[in-house]
Amino acid sequence: MIKGFNHKFEQQPAPAFFVRGPSSFARLAFFSALSIALIATDSRLQYLTALRQNLVALLQPLQAVANAPAQLYRNTDEYFTAHHNLLNQNRQYKQQLLQQDTALQRLSTLMLENEHLRNLLQANKALQESSIVGEIVHIGRDPFTKKVIVNRGANDQVVAGAAVVDAVGVIGQVTRTYSSSSEVTLITDTSLAIPIQVERNGLRAIAFGHGRDQTLDLPFLPANVDIRRGDVLVTSGIDGVYPAGLKVASVTQVKISADSPFARIVCVPTGGVENHGQVLLVSLAHSEMWEGDEVIATPKPSTKKTRVKSAPANTNPSKNHAPQ
Amino acid sequence: MHPSKLQSLCVSLLIAYIAILLPWSGIGLTLRPDFLLLVIIFWMIRAPNLCNIGTAWGVGLLMDLASGGVFGQYALAYTIAAFFAATYQRRLVLFNYYQQLLYVFLLLLTSQISLLVLKMFTGSQPAGWQYFLPSISGVLLWHIALMMGLKTGARSRGA
Repeated sequence: MIKGFNHKFEQQPAPAFFVRGPSSFARLAFFSALSIALIATDSRLQYLTALRQNLVALLQPLQAVANAPAQLYRNTDEYFTAHHNLLNQNRQYKQQLLQQDTALQRLSTLMLENEHLRNLLQANKALQESSIVGEIVHIGRDPFTKKVIVNRGANDQVVAGAAVVDAVGVIGQVTRTYSSSSEVTLITDTSLAIPIQVERNGLRAIAFGHGRDQTLDLPFLPANVDIRRGDVLVTSGIDGVYPAGLKVASVTQVKISADSPFARIVCVPTGGVENHGQVLLVSLAHSEMWEGDEVIATPKPSTKKTRVKSAPANTNPSKNHAPQ
Repeated sequence: MHPSKLQSLCVSLLIAYIAILLPWSGIGLTLRPDFLLLVIIFWMIRAPNLCNIGTAWGVGLLMDLASGGVFGQYALAYTIAAFFAATYQRRLVLFNYYQQLLYVFLLLLTSQISLLVLKMFTGSQPAGWQYFLPSISGVLLWHIALMMGLKTGARSRGA
């Protein structure tokens, strides 16, 4: 095939005034080699991370220009929102606030009580988390991955590895931070795994993103596992990434087939994974966790060998935890 | 050479890049044509001395930056597409208008297929058939742009 191709290529000699410099085949070879070298460097080694961050910072003005029309539309839309709409919303929010205030009051006494009990038991302090509100700016441009870009970055003390949640559940995890934005891999991405617990019976497992259709999988659970349709999955909190007890997904399908020792369990995320909106970036205070921890020896997330599924090495640090 | 042409090349690339950076989502993202590659192909036909495989490679790197994926994927895909564009550039004169459209479509498809192969090697999930829609929307955009009076400079029989 190459031979035939070359033959064709030679049939059409290039006029001298048209071609400057090397032939297009030489250019193809050169730039392809360069690209492949770049791909190899970027996917296996971490040299290009800083370079990418700087280049993205340079792109910021262009990005601002590109975001301007949508922003303008939103602003005018807000401007023309009817008066009574706002009043209604305000009333609604006030009621919500009242309800949540009372709940919060109970929570603070509970927290005090909890701390007291933990002191009595000489157990560790519950993890303290710091959080920051961000907004999803746009969906990732790569059709092969499930990622969104959030408008908070390293300048706002966002670190890679922080959990991202919305009002109803976990959305994903920060995998890359830039100066004023960060990239969040959604829980439906195939490269993201999240340790969960079934709310009903406390069973622990790991949920994997399924990719194209917006579902999660619970692989490698035996066929007789006690999971039913409608079960709610929450974060187990033993990974040191996600705070415990956040809703992740609900089970929609449990299939048991005779030819497989494993059950096929499909879950749908509870959080608005694909919606534009406000999110909370939560990072746990790691220093407290590693210091003076004798009771619960949590392995540091450093090995890559415990991974169940193979995935690109640069995607995220969270999936390195051993299955429980 | 042609300072005015160089200027319009840069401006068109900039506009295409901003179009890529727009906050696309949902169906728009699935259908979004590859503006940058279209501009590259256009200039490779119109002014091959200004825009060559090296330009395509550089623009591909910009695209990599925007997509947030592994560096070099789009660069390689654009390089391959640009190679075919450069090889058959002078043969375009023999094509009629619809053959030219097919040619552009095949170039867009080439870049998408090479990207797909690369993604498979780096371990991404397989994409559905919708993955190839941007090639179709791209060629439609090309058709609309030419209908509105944009000239590629390649004389064609028939049109």
